[in-house]
This record gives sequence, C-alpha cells and structure tokens, in this order.
Amino acid sequence: MGAIDLDDAVLTTRLDAVINWGRKNSLWPMPFGTACCAIEFMSVMASRYDMSRFGAEAMRFSPRQSDMLMILGTITNKQAPVLRQIYAQMAEPKWVVAVGVCASSGGMYRTYATLQGADRVIPVDVYVPGCPPRPETMLYGVMELQKKISRESLSARKEHIERFYASMARQEELQEAKGLSSQQVVREMVVAAGEQGGQQIW
Amino acid sequence: MTPAAVSFLPILLLFLLALGVGAAILVISGWVLPGLLKPNNPQKTKLTPYECGVPLRQDGARHRYSVKFYLVAMLFILFDVEAAFLLPWAVQFKTHLGTFWAMLSFVATLLVGYIYAWGKGALDWER
Amino acid sequence: MVIEQIEAQLPGAILDRHDFRGDTTIVVDGARLLEVVDCIFREGFQMLLDVTAVDLETRELRFDVVYHLLNLVSQDRLRIKVQVGEGVALPSLTSRFKSANWSEREVFDLFGIPFTDHPGLERLLMWPDFPGHPLRKDYPLDGGDPFCNQDIGASYAPLARSLNA
Repeated sequence: MGAIDLDDAVLTTRLDAVINWGRKNSLWPMPFGTACCAIEFMSVMASRYDMSRFGAEAMRFSPRQSDMLMILGTITNKQAPVLRQIYAQMAEPKWVVAVGVCASSGGMYRTYATLQGADRVIPVDVYVPGCPPRPETMLYGVMELQKKISRESLSARKEHIERFYASMARQEELQEAKGLSSQQVVREMVVAAGEQGGQQIW
Repeated sequence: MTPAAVSFLPILLLFLLALGVGAAILVISGWVLPGLLKPNNPQKTKLTPYECGVPLRQDGARHRYSVKFYLVAMLFILFDVEAAFLLPWAVQFKTHLGTFWAMLSFVATLLVGYIYAWGKGALDWER
Repeated sequence: MVIEQIEAQLPGAILDRHDFRGDTTIVVDGARLLEVVDCIFREGFQMLLDVTAVDLETRELRFDVVYHLLNLVSQDRLRIKVQVGEGVALPSLTSRFKSANWSEREVFDLFGIPFTDHPGLERLLMWPDFPGHPLRKDYPLDGGDPFCNQDIGASYAPLARSLNA
C-alpha cells in the first residue's frame, strides 16, 4: 500500500475519510445487465430516479473504466465464467452490487441452468432484493454501498479480492489439467463447494 | 541584453514559475499521490485483453486490412486541399475576374486526376 | 383436407390422427417423415414454426418429436408427431426449412435426439461439454447440485459482514 506512515492515527483517519468520500461519490457503474433488472436499471439512470446525483452517471460498459459492477439479472451457469472474467479485469478499488433476486440467490430459478446466486463465484458487497427491485430500492442499495465504502480503511487488506484471484488461478489450473471448458470447470467447482456445505468457490 | 529587453525579465521569471508550478502539480497528482494511495494489485487475469469476458479469438488487434481505406484517405486529402484552395478564390473572384482562368486550369488538372482515379476503380468500395 | 391429400398420395404414412379444438395432429412414422413433409410443403404448409420433443419415459419409443407447420395462405396449422426410441436418429429438415437448423440443435441439446444430414449438429443452449441432456425426465431439475438439494437456506448476513467490515 505504499509508504504512508500509518502510526499517525489522526492523519490516517482523515486521509481515509477524504479518499473514501471521493470514491463513494464517484462510483462509476458497470452494468452487467442480463435480464429484467437491467430494464429497471435503465429507469434508475433516467431522469426521474436519477442515479447521476450519486456520481454514478458515467456508465462504463468496460471493466477497466468502472468501479462498481452491478449484476442486473439472472446469471446462468454458462455465463458464470464470463462474469468472473469481467470482475477479474476490473481495476481496484472495485465493489459488486447484486441487483435482484436472481443475482442474489438464483431467484425463482432453482434449476440446472441458473447459478444460485452470483456470490457463489464472485465476492458481492451489497444485495438488492426484488424482482425487479423498484428504482428506489436500487438507489437505496447504492447508498448502502456508499456507507460501506465510508467505513473502509485504506490500509486494510481486501481479503476477498485475494481469495477471488486465487480461485481464478485454481480455475485455470483445472481447465488446463482436465481440458474442459471454463463453464464446466466453474460448474464443477460450484458443485464441489456445495458438497462440502459451503457456497462460494472464492 | 539590451536595456529594452531587460524590462521583460519579470515575464520570463513568471513564465518559469508557471512552468515549475504546473510541473509540480502534475508530478504530485500523477506520481507521488497515486504512488502512495493507489491500490496496486497486478494480476495475470486482470492484465488480459478485454473481450467481453470470453477467451480471445485472435492473437491481437494487428492484422491485415484492405488497402481501400488508404485510397479513400489519400483521395480525401487531395480533394480537401483543393477545396481549401478554392475558398480564397471564391471570396474575391467577382472583383478579380482574371483569376478565373488560373483557377480553371488548376481545377482541370485535378479533374484529370479524378477521372483517372474513377476509371481505375479507386472509388469502387465493393471490389 | 390436407390429410386426405396425404392419404391419397402416400397411403399408410399416417399412423394416427386426432383433433382437439381446431388443432390437427398426425402421427407419422420416422422413416416416411421426409416424404410426408414434402407432400405437405406442396400443399402449402411452407413455414416450420417449431421442432420440439416430449419425453415419455415409460413408453417403449421414448420420445415424441413434434413439428408445427403453418400454411401462410390459408392460415391452417398442422402438428406432426414422430415417435422415436432412444438413440434413433431422425432426418433433418434443414434442407427444406432454415428454421429447422437451430430448433433441431435445441432438441439434440436438451433431449439427445440426433438428426442426420444436419449442417452443424452441436449443443445450442448448454455449453459444449455439458454432461447429459437436461429435459429428459431422468435428469434432476437442479442438475445434481447439493446446494439445491439440502435445504441449506444459509443466511447471507455473516458473509456480508466479512467483506471489508
């Protein structure tokens, strides 16, 4: 994290506050829109429920240029490695908002094709329930994320991101070793995690 | 240095000061502060080229493309410069009627070139 | 009416027929499917709306492959059912109807019914090395995911707090 002298507690706190203030008020969303929640997101970004008043106007559909990944819609098992790759390609600092019940938990689709919650393959910060959530609910979710960001500390390690990259490395190893497609490898990792009683592969 | 020039020394000083302050601002906000504050976590997966989350389908973005793009660009430059030369003439040709024949020969030369390009198929996008 | 035409031109091709509230369904033998389809095409049924299948696991000929055709001129619809067993291939209608291409790929992906002479028979909806055929009756709905079987119902609250609290 650089050569800041962290012993000076007052300075760190203030620096944290300033940095977090800057980060939380300029959350550029990357809409990972797959289904109906994306339509609801469109109305959030429009003028009535304006999300740009939270600094989130600059929608960047590229992971390199955004810091908030919004998962808007159902994630199928075929789409799971794509979601992981997009999250992996985002630059830190990055946060994830799972919008809607499909992204949070698989929603009404408890089937072979639907990933039972995006947090099985990606670390998620805020879950916004609803099918689809009302625009005000989505705005509330972004505000909760802002509160979470303001509680962050610059010097703290982001363990979930390290675990995620370790799981990406494991996924690539398995792909090489078994010669399977990324979708099959992620599916096997998810099922194996389920067998051990856990939910996440990261 | 002549006495007249000496009185401009303060401006030189101000200029150098502005340069220095500008450079300092850039260096501090571009190198020093980010070096201290940015999260730096280069990962192999993070540095892969972006292709909407799927594995790359080709080795890179540098591959051969058709020469017709070059031809269109070159012809554009030529006729754009010709248009630029036509503009000052258009402003004053009513008062200076003698320039008409000079301009006509200029346009005629370029017209020959245009007919050649047309005949050779340089304007044929589909080919 | 078109059924009479088929009977006249290809006797014995239609094994069964039934109507229900204006729908007409004929059951055809797989071996004579192409002839029947060509005959129907000449009669005006030139649009293939869908190819799908039904898995009746206890019957000997396990699958019912269902074709829906539309006559654009008279707006009549016709349903053709073909009974096939496990592993038996049907002729592909791709040469006659372009829409059969992906519909047959979908049937192959989800039921495992192969089609001969198909220009590119591979999985459509599931990923290429997906094991099994999901819409068969003996395939579990959740795909064998233990997370779905055990009523885990885990609360996300402890996880949420662990991320950079």
